[in-house]
Amino acid sequence: MAVTRTSRFWMRFLAGRLIRLAILLPLVAGSAFTLLSVSPVDPVRAYVGDRMNRVGPEQQALIAAKWGLDQPPLVQFGRWAGNLLQGDFGTSMIFSQPVAEVLIDRAGTSLALMTLSWLLAGAIGFALGIVAGALEGSWIDRAIRTYCFALASAPTFWMGILFLMLFSVALGWAPFCCAGPPGVVAADVTLADRLAHLALPALTLSLLGIAQVTLHTRDKVREVMASDYATLAFAQGLRRLPVAMRHGLRNAALPALTLQFAHLGELFGGSILAETVFAYPGLGQATVLAGTRSDAPLLLGIALFASVFVFTGNLIADILHHALDPRQRRLADAVR
Amino acid sequence: MRSLLYPVLAAALLAVSSATFPAAAAPKTELMLAVHGEPDSGFDPTLGWGEYGYPLFQSTLLKRDAKLDFVPDLATAWTLSDDRKSWTVTIRGDVKFSDGRPLTARDVAFTYETAKKTGSVLDLTELVSVRAVDQQTVVFELKAPRITFLNTLSILGIVPEHAYDARTYGRAPIGSGPFRLVSWTGGEQAIVEPNPLYYGTKPAFSKVTFLFTKDDATYAAARTGKIDVAAISNALAGTVPAGMVQVVAKTVDNRGLAFPIQPDTGRKTGKGYPIGNNVTADPAIRKAVNVALDRNALAAAVLNGFGRPAYGPADDLPWDNPAHRLADADPAAARKILADAGWKPGADGILEKNGVRAKFSIYYSAADSTRQSLALASADMIRPLGIEVEVLGRSWDEIRPRMHSNVVVFGAGSHDPFEAYNLYVGTGAEGGWWFNTGLYDNPAVKAHFDKALSAASMADLVPGWQAAAWDGKTGYGMKGDAAWAWMVNIDHVYFVSECLDIGPRQIEPHGHGFPITYNLEDWRWTCP
Repeated sequence: MAVTRTSRFWMRFLAGRLIRLAILLPLVAGSAFTLLSVSPVDPVRAYVGDRMNRVGPEQQALIAAKWGLDQPPLVQFGRWAGNLLQGDFGTSMIFSQPVAEVLIDRAGTSLALMTLSWLLAGAIGFALGIVAGALEGSWIDRAIRTYCFALASAPTFWMGILFLMLFSVALGWAPFCCAGPPGVVAADVTLADRLAHLALPALTLSLLGIAQVTLHTRDKVREVMASDYATLAFAQGLRRLPVAMRHGLRNAALPALTLQFAHLGELFGGSILAETVFAYPGLGQATVLAGTRSDAPLLLGIALFASVFVFTGNLIADILHHALDPRQRRLADAVR
Repeated sequence: MRSLLYPVLAAALLAVSSATFPAAAAPKTELMLAVHGEPDSGFDPTLGWGEYGYPLFQSTLLKRDAKLDFVPDLATAWTLSDDRKSWTVTIRGDVKFSDGRPLTARDVAFTYETAKKTGSVLDLTELVSVRAVDQQTVVFELKAPRITFLNTLSILGIVPEHAYDARTYGRAPIGSGPFRLVSWTGGEQAIVEPNPLYYGTKPAFSKVTFLFTKDDATYAAARTGKIDVAAISNALAGTVPAGMVQVVAKTVDNRGLAFPIQPDTGRKTGKGYPIGNNVTADPAIRKAVNVALDRNALAAAVLNGFGRPAYGPADDLPWDNPAHRLADADPAAARKILADAGWKPGADGILEKNGVRAKFSIYYSAADSTRQSLALASADMIRPLGIEVEVLGRSWDEIRPRMHSNVVVFGAGSHDPFEAYNLYVGTGAEGGWWFNTGLYDNPAVKAHFDKALSAASMADLVPGWQAAAWDGKTGYGMKGDAAWAWMVNIDHVYFVSECLDIGPRQIEPHGHGFPITYNLEDWRWTCP
């Protein structure tokens, strides 16, 4: 009976989330399109760029007609949505390539970057948080906290430039750009090459998440250290770090994990900056182009992709929460 | 943001200048270039690829040499009909695409037809039709005589009809140019190798890599010694890494102040944007600004010395007319022009005439720090004349509604003489577009231009083009209507390996970077 109840819970849970996603995506697309159409950026002007002295009014009209920009916004949106329902994301103005292809091309490099920095941020942040929480008030704690505040307030692109100058130019340890070695054909790039080119951008991007995870974990561990069972453990002669490892780890792991997954949205935003600094060709670069040049199909595609990405992150966080902590499930059932 | 980064970068890199690398001693077979120029929409000439520089993978009917004269590429002969509206071009019979299939007149016609209807940045609206008469002859019919169509013949690379798919071609181009695309990672790099079937000079390098890094990363890359040619922003120019030399290309990449020429009578454009400005509608104001500007000082201060004065839209190109120029950096002469025209100082020292106060705003694109500096510095040179100047940075989309009634910093500069026609005759505000935003309208100037367009050759175009600037009585230039106050031409600075001979430089157009590759197949490694 417990099994059926559990599986019923999960079915209901997932169905609920899917319905939410089904409501969320049209809302995201609709509001992104509304923002675009009220934005003063003229897509034709953006497309023509610095050739504006040579592209005449007739050609302007031809460009507008090609991309359907001569139609009222509602018609444009309706056409886009209709195609989307048939699985067609449209064609990017900037890249003159189907949006789905652009997304696939670019998402791979971005996902590698985000995954690595996400793991780095999680691991480093969690470890620092445990130590700081266990040794609250010590010089180590103070050092870690200062470090976190500094990280939290330093802009990603700025840290990126500093790293680039230090590690790539001055020390020559890291490559100065790109997702693979310059001059090597994409197919010949080895995994080691990829990791080497990933290291610096990933390190830069991970800084964004470390501070948050550290400070939250630290807080949780502090709570544990002040609890009755921790006091009992101290009374039995145990030292602070072992207590933090035994009790704090388990208690802090769940919020840290939830936070990590919930932080995917910020990660996505941060990757835009990191990618720009390191000429790392991912979705971030494409997002900047799509926004500044008002490439509606591409921007909408990216917005949908980002929504699904962040939504999935939150969903995983929720699932973990419920799966690892049965109390949550029972609570959910009781409420119902 | 960028303007902040440069000095910091430069200082930091100077501090670690010990970390430079000696150039390799072996002769090189591979080149690494960081000269911008990535075409986002791929290497498809019908979408505008190859407009700056040379399309590399495709060949064009004509080419421009270092002096910008037209020389044959695919074409062996080109003749113009008596009514000047029909071009007959004969092409070589020995040319093969990189897939081994022959290039025929049919491919040429197909390319122009495709480019005409695709709705890209390449404006072919003057072309009525194109047809292949036989294997080696193409006939182009134009709407009206336009000798500058030669420029189009020199930039549009020919694509193969049998292997052209608009969705994929830009990513895997097949052409008859000196190079073949090996691989392209968007936003990162393109790798090319010589095309073994190319009919012209064989490139000396077995591989050329184009890195699409941004300014600061390019500068960092040049310092690591791994780059053979790097396009360097003017702010970072001057500190040349070991093993490289600095090549400074003269340009017509110009910046100028576009004046509203019409008076403000409450008239609006079709989009409802106000037209006219009662201060700049007075030629004396425009001329005085032109004479007062110290263009050498602007180039020195704003461009870090890497620039030269600009007096017109195409300084020192064959169709430029230096005779229209007036001596500048002369505030006294400027004051005299204003006084002679009836402008008198009011109570607060600002000039007035018939109740109109000498006041205007200069708008610039807020995203461009060079334009900001130019706007601010030029305003400082104008104010002592007794003219009140307000300088405002806005986005292009905010500037657009104001550009027919305010002074705006614009940039131009093309190898196509027709650009001057657009700037001084174009439909401007009436057509709702960006050229001739000031609605300059002088029938004598238009007549000179129109007559010159019917010329039989580019050389015959020159006298008419020069007369449009100044014909002894009138013109758009400084001595005439002074429709613009051009400020500077921005030099294009490159760091080039001291072992690399890149041949003579053209006067480069707007767009820093890729134009340097116009003769890439002639580049040679000179070190042992």
